[in-house]
Amino acid sequence: MNENNEHSKNEINKNKYIIKNQTPYAAGILIISLIFAIYLHKKSFDLAFYWGIGLCFGFVLQKSRFCFTASFRDPYLTGSTILTRAVLIAFALTSIGFTIIKYINITQGNPVPGMDYVVPISLATALGAFTFGIGMVISGGCASGTFMRIGEGFQLQVITLIFFIVGSLWGARDYQWWEENFISQGIKIYLPDIFGLFGGLVANLIIIILIYILAKKWEDKKM
Amino acid sequence: MKIFDIINNNKTYIKIFKKSYPYIIGAILLSIFQIINFSVTGNPWGVSGVLANWGAWILEMFGGNFNNWYYFQEVNIDLDYGSSFLNSPVSIRNFGILVGALFSTLAASEFKFKKPKNGRQILGAVIGGLLMGYGARIAFGCNIGALYSGISTLSLSGWIYGIFMFLGAVIGSKMLMKFFI
Repeated sequence: MNENNEHSKNEINKNKYIIKNQTPYAAGILIISLIFAIYLHKKSFDLAFYWGIGLCFGFVLQKSRFCFTASFRDPYLTGSTILTRAVLIAFALTSIGFTIIKYINITQGNPVPGMDYVVPISLATALGAFTFGIGMVISGGCASGTFMRIGEGFQLQVITLIFFIVGSLWGARDYQWWEENFISQGIKIYLPDIFGLFGGLVANLIIIILIYILAKKWEDKKM
Repeated sequence: MKIFDIINNNKTYIKIFKKSYPYIIGAILLSIFQIINFSVTGNPWGVSGVLANWGAWILEMFGGNFNNWYYFQEVNIDLDYGSSFLNSPVSIRNFGILVGALFSTLAASEFKFKKPKNGRQILGAVIGGLLMGYGARIAFGCNIGALYSGISTLSLSGWIYGIFMFLGAVIGSKMLMKFFI
């Protein structure tokens, strides 16, 4: 009897722990975030905006379990491509939105925004992306994923972040060598230069659709 | 407090804050925020570029000097070098990702400190972190700046990045199963 009582007491405690309401803490974080936003806004609008949009990115990444690492790893590891296809949809929607913004800027006579992200393609691109791909799988998180997981309470990703920073500085130190030997010989290819602005978008969407179909077929075959 | 129990059982609250969203909703919302970010700041979303600066800022506190580094003089001039964390918009955005995810986890009452499982996992985090940092510096970015934003700005470099990141992920998966689990 006594033992039974003890048992059910434990059960209740366990349940209590599981359904423990953390909403007050969430409310606390929200208030602190707002105060921080006001502090940043006093310095500049930019800082406050970046803070707000960062919160939005983090919230959505966590809420939808959006993981770039899994989207590149799972097709090989499990055959699942559902996340891969979600990432492709994000590429499609974002490239449509970006192109419209570029079009508006062009018609207003402004310079095309975002051209800093059109970077030369060289052996450094291939090697860097390759090492990045290995790194994100063995550490269990990409760049955005590492920040998200720290927020979720994972201690492992704190270690990943520390060494991500060390690796970044290491890469920055060697950057000149990579630029002199490879990056300087690379070529920038901006799809609208070849196909026109909307033609470039269509070319981009065609690539996305082809990979989407391939991913769906791959999953049907593997799972 | 009772009010929080009431909030917690509210149907709309459960829908928005407690249940996970389908991946497709994630894709749509991320796209919306990318587009807002692009239209307001004139630049797409990037994450890893500023991390080299974080390293430099930390080492500067201990007497490090990076003024003669080619990278900080010629390449990374836009990214607030010589500034500090609280004056660096991209740093603040990264911190926002962390806090946004923390808020989301707490709002769903799912927060828990999770310790690394074993030494192998820690070794994976150390090597993986180094590889990501180095790779991102020589390839102009990470899965966000070089891949997602590169492809979305219609740069072919984004697609090349994606192909080689996928090959890396395959090799990484083989290594993961052999050494790190």
